[in-house]
Amino acid sequence: MSVISSDYNSTAFFDEMFDADGHPRTHYKKLFSRFLNTSQDELAQIQRMADISLLNQGITFTVYSDVRGTEKIFPFDLIPRIITAKEWHHVETGVQQRLHALNLFLHDLYHHQSILKDAIVPTDMILNSPLFCREMSGLDTPGGMYTHIGGIDLIRGEQGEFMVLEDNLRSPSGVSYVIENRLIMGRVMPKLLQQHRVRSVDQYPQMLFNALSSLSQADNPTLAVLTPGTYNAAYFEHAFLADRMGVELVEGSDLIVIQDVLYMKTTDGLRRIDVLYRRIDDDFLDPLVFNPNSLLGVAGMMHAYRAGNLALANAPGAGVADDKAIYAYTPDIIRYYLNEEPILPIVPTYLCVRDEDRKYVLEHLEELVVKPTDASGGYGLLVGSHASKHELIEFRAKINKTPAAYIAQPIQQLSTHPTRVEQHGVEGLFPRHVDLRPFAVCSADGSVNVLPGGLTRVALPQGSLVVNSSQGGGSKDTWVLYDTPYTGEGRYA
Amino acid sequence: MLSRVAYSMYQLGQHIERAENVTRILDVNYRMGFEVEYFSELDVWLPMLAITRSRDLFDSLYDEVNEENIYDFLLLSDKNPDSVLSRLHAAREAARSMRERISEEMWNHLNQAHLGLANIRLNQVTYAGSYTFNQRIQTICNTFHGLAAHTMVHGKAWKFLRLGIFLDRALMSSRILEIKYHIVLPDADEVGRPLDIHQWQALLRSVSGYEAYRRMYKAKIIPAQVINLILFNQDFPRSMRYCMEQVTRHLQALGKTHQGQHRVYTQAKLFLDELRGNERGEIILREGLQQHLQTTQQRCVDLQQQIMANYFDLLIVMDDQGHELSLGSQMQQQQQQRDMMP
Repeated sequence: MSVISSDYNSTAFFDEMFDADGHPRTHYKKLFSRFLNTSQDELAQIQRMADISLLNQGITFTVYSDVRGTEKIFPFDLIPRIITAKEWHHVETGVQQRLHALNLFLHDLYHHQSILKDAIVPTDMILNSPLFCREMSGLDTPGGMYTHIGGIDLIRGEQGEFMVLEDNLRSPSGVSYVIENRLIMGRVMPKLLQQHRVRSVDQYPQMLFNALSSLSQADNPTLAVLTPGTYNAAYFEHAFLADRMGVELVEGSDLIVIQDVLYMKTTDGLRRIDVLYRRIDDDFLDPLVFNPNSLLGVAGMMHAYRAGNLALANAPGAGVADDKAIYAYTPDIIRYYLNEEPILPIVPTYLCVRDEDRKYVLEHLEELVVKPTDASGGYGLLVGSHASKHELIEFRAKINKTPAAYIAQPIQQLSTHPTRVEQHGVEGLFPRHVDLRPFAVCSADGSVNVLPGGLTRVALPQGSLVVNSSQGGGSKDTWVLYDTPYTGEGRYA
Repeated sequence: MLSRVAYSMYQLGQHIERAENVTRILDVNYRMGFEVEYFSELDVWLPMLAITRSRDLFDSLYDEVNEENIYDFLLLSDKNPDSVLSRLHAAREAARSMRERISEEMWNHLNQAHLGLANIRLNQVTYAGSYTFNQRIQTICNTFHGLAAHTMVHGKAWKFLRLGIFLDRALMSSRILEIKYHIVLPDADEVGRPLDIHQWQALLRSVSGYEAYRRMYKAKIIPAQVINLILFNQDFPRSMRYCMEQVTRHLQALGKTHQGQHRVYTQAKLFLDELRGNERGEIILREGLQQHLQTTQQRCVDLQQQIMANYFDLLIVMDDQGHELSLGSQMQQQQQQRDMMP
């Protein structure tokens, strides 16, 4: 019996694999027939292989509910998501355009502030934002760049067009899973991968290394990755990236600043660090300048940075541009700096701080998603259609109390993709909602490189629209195809 | 390399070695236990606590000294930082904090061992006798050594790992020898009689030294020769001398960047030179084994402290219970970062 259940029925408007008539799309045909000819048992066995491999390799994150900490794997779904060369070209140029514009925006905010003077973006929204970093004012960053590593969350609209849902300009995580998912896929379903012309993803550490190196004037700069430590949920990724770049993974206690130069403590004495890829929040970087209780950064780091003896990626203060309220202005930001129309549209957004928007939001709460402006990971949001009476009342009160802290958007259906889950006691492939987070790295020369594909997250519970791992999300391998077609069985074997 | 990573490597070596040696100490006991009619239960188990220096902690956790409690305490308990599982857990955590430094094979091995042991229960251990469990642990530890030797670059990190292993092994081999002092014979007349010989033999087995002994000293068990093997033999990998040869070699290879590191090396070299002299088993037995072992162990501990101070340069503030003071708020801050799972 086929694993694709006969009543596969995507209620969403766009399914990645099947067109409106229920036929597999051209670029999915090979994949469709592969799974059509796969038994439930075989699939379950392959899934077990993949899960054991992930567990044994310790590609896990920790859930802190008991003392020793339970470790879970980030659920990996076997059915890959395929993106055609044409679709990808569109996404890639859209992401590049966005990062160009947002970097120009950040440079402007910390220098002349012409976008505020021209009243394109409200001044108070920027200056009152907790993410606006005054310490960055007037400071020149290498190449004028602020976000060196960006992750843009995309979803599909009604016609299947890609739209931006969120920008991640501080420490976007997940790229290690993009690379690991591909490795696993190659291990458990090697033939399937060979039958498609899929663009590789394992060049990412090299891309990152080059971009980070470009931030320093030194000939052979010393890079390091700064992690909060093993208790951070993204620790695996920090270790992974340091390892693959061949650089040290440091913690705050390894660092010391002497006369505005950052060093790490080694068994041979102190060694200078030129570029730090930091994966801790701005607030924890330097207890002398930011949060004085921080145990994760090192005293004097900002002085070294301001003196030009150290490059930080991403630059402090980049978060002001990925605030969910600023998001509403991003099309205008792109037009303002690039004099271009945005390639990737955004989702209509209501800012509760505006009177008319708030009025609309409060009247249409059931049809909207309400999001706190500064939260991530899918925490603290309200999906109006799924909310209880009590939750609706609660959110009404919250919005009225601190309107500036909330935005609202029409509930986006998100496209669906066949995903191996259990539904009503039956194991099989059922439609589940997916998004896409492509990763881009920006060099000091202003070039923006986007890794082909990105992280496809999938909401595993039936009907769920929240793809975050903290809310029951898993991930899929994401295949971007070359534009020249595949020409024969086994040719790439 | 980073001082913190060097220290973690060193600790990783210690954890692995300690886990193995606790099972070895229990093994001696298991083997001596064949003659159990001579001893009361207390006679058998108390020495285990004496050798592992954990009597006080044990008493704070259990009401009675008996087989079950001892096994729980020494093998499984997460309240005993020196229990086999605590040590393997710590080894795995250390490996996790520097997985970019060790080989993938080493990490996979430790992680799988950890997963395999995570939910083990006391009755599963005691059901077949602790021997099977001990063998399993010893295999895990020695597989680790094999993987480290053959899959990891033999650079600085590896040398720190070896330092941790051999310093701890030196200390623990000496403690295993000490068992002979703690497990007293029923009366002085027994010296040299079958029971005495049986105990020496069990002791040899527990350091995997019975075969080595037979090759080198023939079948007749002579206590002075057992001491020679465990303390002074240059080829036996668990002997004090062998361990100190390794320690000295690695200290030399790590280089001596400053005066303090030079002093550590000199100290280790002096110790080694004494071990390299004549095999003095007989003299030691005459002058008092226990006293000699105490001096030897103190030298190992001194050396460990010197290495800590001169290579790792750590600033760790401890609270009254000996826990790292900032650890709690560290954990909290690490978890509250915005950087999280996608």
